[in-house]
Amino acid sequence: MKQNTFYLLLGLIGLLEVGLFVISVLLRNPLIITVGFIMGVGLLYIARMTITDLKEDERSVMITQKAGFRTLEVFWVLFFAVSLGSAVIGFSTPLGIPPGKNLPPGFPRDEPHLGYFGILQMILLCCIAFLYIGFRVYYARKYGEWDSDEE
Amino acid sequence: MKNKIKVFRAMHDMTQEALAQQLKVTRQTILAIEKGKYDPSLELAFKIAGFFGVTIEEVFVYDEAKPS
Repeated sequence: MKQNTFYLLLGLIGLLEVGLFVISVLLRNPLIITVGFIMGVGLLYIARMTITDLKEDERSVMITQKAGFRTLEVFWVLFFAVSLGSAVIGFSTPLGIPPGKNLPPGFPRDEPHLGYFGILQMILLCCIAFLYIGFRVYYARKYGEWDSDEE
Repeated sequence: MKNKIKVFRAMHDMTQEALAQQLKVTRQTILAIEKGKYDPSLELAFKIAGFFGVTIEEVFVYDEAKPS
């Protein structure tokens, strides 16, 4: 497989994942996107191994490694912050404990703000993608990825 | 790290692309090394020196004023 064919496949799988996500939300079935995403990534890994004109060497590997490391270095802080906030949302619910029989009328029994959890997760997903792209561009520039030839 | 790859390349009348192909790296890597933006691994440094038939010290010079 040529490298450009791989990028086309990457785009197609990306679009397919977005479609699976929408179907998952509409059908309220998280398994569709979870299994679909794992299968998509697996397919991309297999496809990547078949690239015949892969332009990769120690410098490009180092750029990828540095970008990945820096992304995780920043992302874990965001992940902890959002996860702690999400835990608070989770603990605001009845925790599955059956409510007492003599509760006053109007006592909040429904799970509050659970929709926020989904929004926070989406923000996290966008953050990890933008952080990685940002760091990738930064290190690619630093190590001369787009420098012009002096010859 | 300073280097004289460009000089050796000129002595052997080689383009960056040709040297990159010989060393199995990308042309951008040769360009980045020549410009001092990237310090190669010890293995690649030995390969470069070996390709030109010189010692590694003749190609690469450690620059204490500008550590990587």
